[in-house]
Amino acid sequence: MSILPASTVDFFLAGLEAFMSRSGQGTHWGVTVLRLGGRPDARTLTQAWEEIHARHPMLGARLKRQWRGWRWVWETRGAIAAPAICWHPVQPLPPDDAVVHERLQGRSSAGELTTPLWMEVFPWGGEGEHVILLTWRHALLDGTGVNLLLEKLAAGTCGEGPPVQPLPRRESIAQVYKLAKPLTDRLHAMTSAGCLSAWVKGMPIGGRPEHRLIELSAEESGRAVSRLRKLCGDFMQMPFFAAIAARTLRLLHEQRGWKSPEIHLHLPIQIRGRSRELIFGNHMGAMPLFLEAESLGSLEQAVEHVLAKYREAMKQAMPKASDALTTLASHLPLGAFIPVVRWTNMGQICSLFHSHTGSFLPGSTDFAGAKIHNIFTIPSVCTPPGLGIFISDYAGRITVTLAWRGEGVSPAEVAAMEQRIRADLTGDAEGRAE
Amino acid sequence: MPDALITPAAVIELLTAEHILEPQEALTPDTDLFSMGLDSMAMMQLLLLIEERFHLTINPAEMTRERFATAAALAGFLGEKRRLAA
Repeated sequence: MSILPASTVDFFLAGLEAFMSRSGQGTHWGVTVLRLGGRPDARTLTQAWEEIHARHPMLGARLKRQWRGWRWVWETRGAIAAPAICWHPVQPLPPDDAVVHERLQGRSSAGELTTPLWMEVFPWGGEGEHVILLTWRHALLDGTGVNLLLEKLAAGTCGEGPPVQPLPRRESIAQVYKLAKPLTDRLHAMTSAGCLSAWVKGMPIGGRPEHRLIELSAEESGRAVSRLRKLCGDFMQMPFFAAIAARTLRLLHEQRGWKSPEIHLHLPIQIRGRSRELIFGNHMGAMPLFLEAESLGSLEQAVEHVLAKYREAMKQAMPKASDALTTLASHLPLGAFIPVVRWTNMGQICSLFHSHTGSFLPGSTDFAGAKIHNIFTIPSVCTPPGLGIFISDYAGRITVTLAWRGEGVSPAEVAAMEQRIRADLTGDAEGRAE
Repeated sequence: MPDALITPAAVIELLTAEHILEPQEALTPDTDLFSMGLDSMAMMQLLLLIEERFHLTINPAEMTRERFATAAALAGFLGEKRRLAA
């Protein structure tokens, strides 16, 4: 039995999963889709897959309260056996949404998933095209971890495995409370103002994970990237995508006749100095931004507003405050964490979880010997908040996933949100208006 | 108070003393800053510090890879910006 350090985000996601499980929303799964122009090399994939399972004991770890020191740690009994990669027979079409829905509910054609990673290869059509579905448990892996995992799989080896990490130093409660104070004050203000997500009390909780993929063509993606650069330069992709996500939620509020003065967005920020050999365990912290709904009128205005709020949040040390608040919350029992957050936020968790998944395999054109056409992720979300907007980028090709549950979002609302997202990304609406 | 001098050395000092980058080896004016971990959050921290230290405001749209590739390139860009603002 060995102990591995857990981050505050690990605790948050485990708490979220406990909430999902208790409210009948299952386990928190995500699916990453690789569209390939040829057959990936089975030997390369299998070797890396088995090495990863053999060298990363986190795959068999569970989050546990360590009584001495009263902190959460990952407890592991060592490596787990790699589940065999499932190679399907050739089909006329690629796997459809029903397959993805099944995986997002933690099931494969063989039954319940019993390991945190599951990989399938689907050859389809008459020209050798393949789709890989990689299903992963979010409590152990985030968007950055998925990219690191893909890098190892593409290379056919996972190297030496993760370095030994020391358990983090504990700070005094008084110090942590002081760090968390700017955020707790802000959350109380948000609660008083009555900010909404895509869910309100009285709406159903749970239901099947649903999603809509918005795949931009190469030409549309080119226009989106050029708009991004014009507004945010070469580096601030996330504020651009966050502005689009916030505007989409605002549209949903308007369509429902809801008044929400602010939108609470959790922007993912990379934990700095973390080894790239640590695939599992979460790499991201969260930067909470409180966006004023009135400042999201046009995309340009929204981007400017997000950037201003980003600067303000950095000045107020919000990333540290967010980490400190989760540290304080980690003194609660796991199952009590999210209900307490919901109660303090008047039924909400937050408006939007991570609005951006990230760019995959930068600089790579092949995956295990097969040409890559596109890579994107389809995460599941829970209610509340009831809506996730995720943006994937492979080599400048943009794919957006809208995710919700059951009938929490209507088909007409999905269509309107897709139209808004496409217009914001490509500028088409302005073009037509002219 | 006179504006702080903008040189590659001053930019390196800003990047390291404020822990925007934590390189294993000493930075030189021509070190590739992106390979040292200059990501978007580090960029936002850097923009705030540039405002504070050099009294220059940078629009995100001005943030190109070329201008931020090295300490020398960044010092050149900031120096030019100050000259134009004078």
